[in-house]
Amino acid sequence: MSTDPSHFLSNIIGSSVTVKLHNGVKYAGVLQSIDGFMNVVLQNGTEVAGESSRTYGDVFIRGNNGMYE
Amino acid sequence: MSEVIEAPGASNDVAETTILPLEIIDKSIGQYIHVLMTGNKEFKGKLVGFDDFVNMVLEDVTEIDNDGPSSTPIKQLLLNGAHVAMIIPS
Repeated sequence: MSTDPSHFLSNIIGSSVTVKLHNGVKYAGVLQSIDGFMNVVLQNGTEVAGESSRTYGDVFIRGNNGMYE
Repeated sequence: MSEVIEAPGASNDVAETTILPLEIIDKSIGQYIHVLMTGNKEFKGKLVGFDDFVNMVLEDVTEIDNDGPSSTPIKQLLLNGAHVAMIIPS
């Protein structure tokens, strides 16, 4: 059972996640890794911004921008 | 050994009556809470856990912004504590 944030994060490594930034843009992908700064690496990251969506390979998101899974 | 002089009734009462902010949050685990963010955003969901930065794991979350509440609740999310302004236990 996941309780605190660090347990939660270790439990969801490898699963499909959505990361929403403070500016409202979302990135979806497979969570490869995440650190204590909430820096996130996504595999097959796609940008979800209204109509347009761009696809990337691996995506690094600096932690201070992230809002949620 | 030096003796500490205390005012009457001030001995252990402080520890018993002072409520730490994180205690309030800890008591809310398993309950539904409202989280108000800086900026016009709000989250309502069941608190699963939190850490010292007040990052929170929430379940069955409704995100409320200027456009109103989101239609589909988010099953599980990790909320970055950096922009949390207020937590309201329901």
